[in-house]
Amino acid sequence: MEYLAQQMMNAFAFGAEYALLALGLAIVFSIMGLVNFAHGEMIAVGGYSMVAMAALSLGNPMIVIGFALLAAVVASVTLERVAFRPVRYADPTTGLLTAFGVSIILQNLFLLLVSPRPIAVTSLYFLEWSIPIGMVSISSLQLFEALTTIIVIVALMLFLRQTSLGLAMRAAALDFEMVRLTGIRANRVFAMAFMISGMLAGIACIFIMARRGSVDPHLGFDPVLKAFVACVVGGFGSLPGAVLGGFLLGVVEVAMLVLLPQSLGGMTDAFVFGIIALVLVWRPNGILAARAEKGDKQ
Amino acid sequence: MNRGLVGASLLALVLVIIGVVAAYFGTRYQLRLVYSAYVNLLVVLGLQVFMGNARVTNLSHSAFMGIGAYAAAICVTPQNIKAISLPDAPWGLNTFALDPVTSALIAIAVTGLIAFLVGIVIVRLSGIGATIVSLAVLVIIHSLFLYRTDIFKGNQAFFGIPQVFSLTSVVILAVIVVFATRLFRESRWGIALRASADDEVGASTMGVNIYRLRLIAWVMSGVLLAIAGIAYAYYLGTISARPFYFNHVFLTLAMLILGGMRTITGAVLGCFLISFGLEWVRWLETGPLLLGIDLPEALGLSGIALGAVIVLTMALRPGGIMGEREIEDFILKS
Repeated sequence: MEYLAQQMMNAFAFGAEYALLALGLAIVFSIMGLVNFAHGEMIAVGGYSMVAMAALSLGNPMIVIGFALLAAVVASVTLERVAFRPVRYADPTTGLLTAFGVSIILQNLFLLLVSPRPIAVTSLYFLEWSIPIGMVSISSLQLFEALTTIIVIVALMLFLRQTSLGLAMRAAALDFEMVRLTGIRANRVFAMAFMISGMLAGIACIFIMARRGSVDPHLGFDPVLKAFVACVVGGFGSLPGAVLGGFLLGVVEVAMLVLLPQSLGGMTDAFVFGIIALVLVWRPNGILAARAEKGDKQ
Repeated sequence: MNRGLVGASLLALVLVIIGVVAAYFGTRYQLRLVYSAYVNLLVVLGLQVFMGNARVTNLSHSAFMGIGAYAAAICVTPQNIKAISLPDAPWGLNTFALDPVTSALIAIAVTGLIAFLVGIVIVRLSGIGATIVSLAVLVIIHSLFLYRTDIFKGNQAFFGIPQVFSLTSVVILAVIVVFATRLFRESRWGIALRASADDEVGASTMGVNIYRLRLIAWVMSGVLLAIAGIAYAYYLGTISARPFYFNHVFLTLAMLILGGMRTITGAVLGCFLISFGLEWVRWLETGPLLLGIDLPEALGLSGIALGAVIVLTMALRPGGIMGEREIEDFILKS
């Protein structure tokens, strides 16, 4: 029973992390059709900003967290202006390859300017302690992660439903030309999408760093690959799909970690992706994909 | 079709000339460099068959190259060496050794079969889904290479493969593959596939079976990648899992994108431009003395250069240098 509760909490925390990242990918994709391969590098930017804080001996956790979030948001918005503006209205493949190139450039910049080796970051260890609830003891970090994700999803929903910019963003996902005709600035919608995406990456970064305690140039690759798979399974561009896919991936991953014998430990990801591939055989466009006929105007 | 033969012949001529020049004037190190450029050319052409015709970005190609290389290596390496390097290999893999040709054929068949099984999933997905799943395939296959150290030796060297290939053999192979890919591009299947990439609904109303064509191109791509892997293993004599992962994926992807993924000429051009251009960047990376200034060592510069090539090509010339043009378009009148 305890074991089960513990594993369910694990699955929820894993799923929360993937859902946060997948949401960040989906919000950008739904508006400009860009598969943002450079999303993982936003996590790394957040991580390196913590290194910078440590170097400046600013230990206050609020400052560290705030600065990491700010760094991820600024990096994300900057990328939109510098790299993704030329391919804004290009076809998805062009955007995807551009983002892929940007991701490679950033990873190698970290390698060149900082260090190819992992750098320890200890300023977030305080987030981790264990909370006994009845018979079960829960990691505080997992609890924070789950709560934060729920708050973020609710806040994002409120933003998209209750504010005019949020409404514009939802409309932009359906018909961007129409939104521009109503006098809303395209630049503002794009900037907002990247700002939200960067913010979500920053939040995920905090939890990843608190768990791993070190940053290296490829920090973002693994979690973002999972987030991509979550997006594909949920239906690319669908926000509820991203959340569903993220949690589904979390459950499958923890199930694999529990069920697979110890000797197959290195193969967990391979099994997770294999199971997800089966879901895609059943529904090639993802579980919650819009039932658009091919050839319809998007 | 005839234009295709003319174009392929012109490219073959270029490939032979580069090979001959390298063989006569190159130093040992330069020969190795030219050889690896030809192997990468085989990879880029294999990638072009699927990516250029179906226009779905594939990121798993290096893994299929790895499967081909390892399958051939396991078959061809003599028993006495395998007894040392793979003492715990299952299924009696270390109890036999075949001749290079049979091994190569087995490797091609194995890779083709795996490509077929993966392809069944890939071809049904929409463009972006297929790309992400292909990335997952790369990660799965790489983790298999690393995990089954009793078969693949992971990041350690798999040594003792007979070095039966020379520069001549890879140039001949490249010429054959240039003809094969160019003729595929101009064939009924190639044209139908390119039409489906331009207009999926339109092509399928004209009776094009898109999934089947994509699968054919995907498996053909897998087979060509296996050939590239075999050429790699048969020349170096030593392989490990690392060269079949991410770095190689984006190196070859940058080559194809720079030249232009829609044409064979683009694939050849991009491959040689980057192969030789990168050597210059690698020299900068070591921190040389340039115009009297002692430059610092700059690890990662080649990665930045490759990324910049991809980003700039996409921003300035999304079709690559060649766009839709093949080499014969400069000579023949349309």
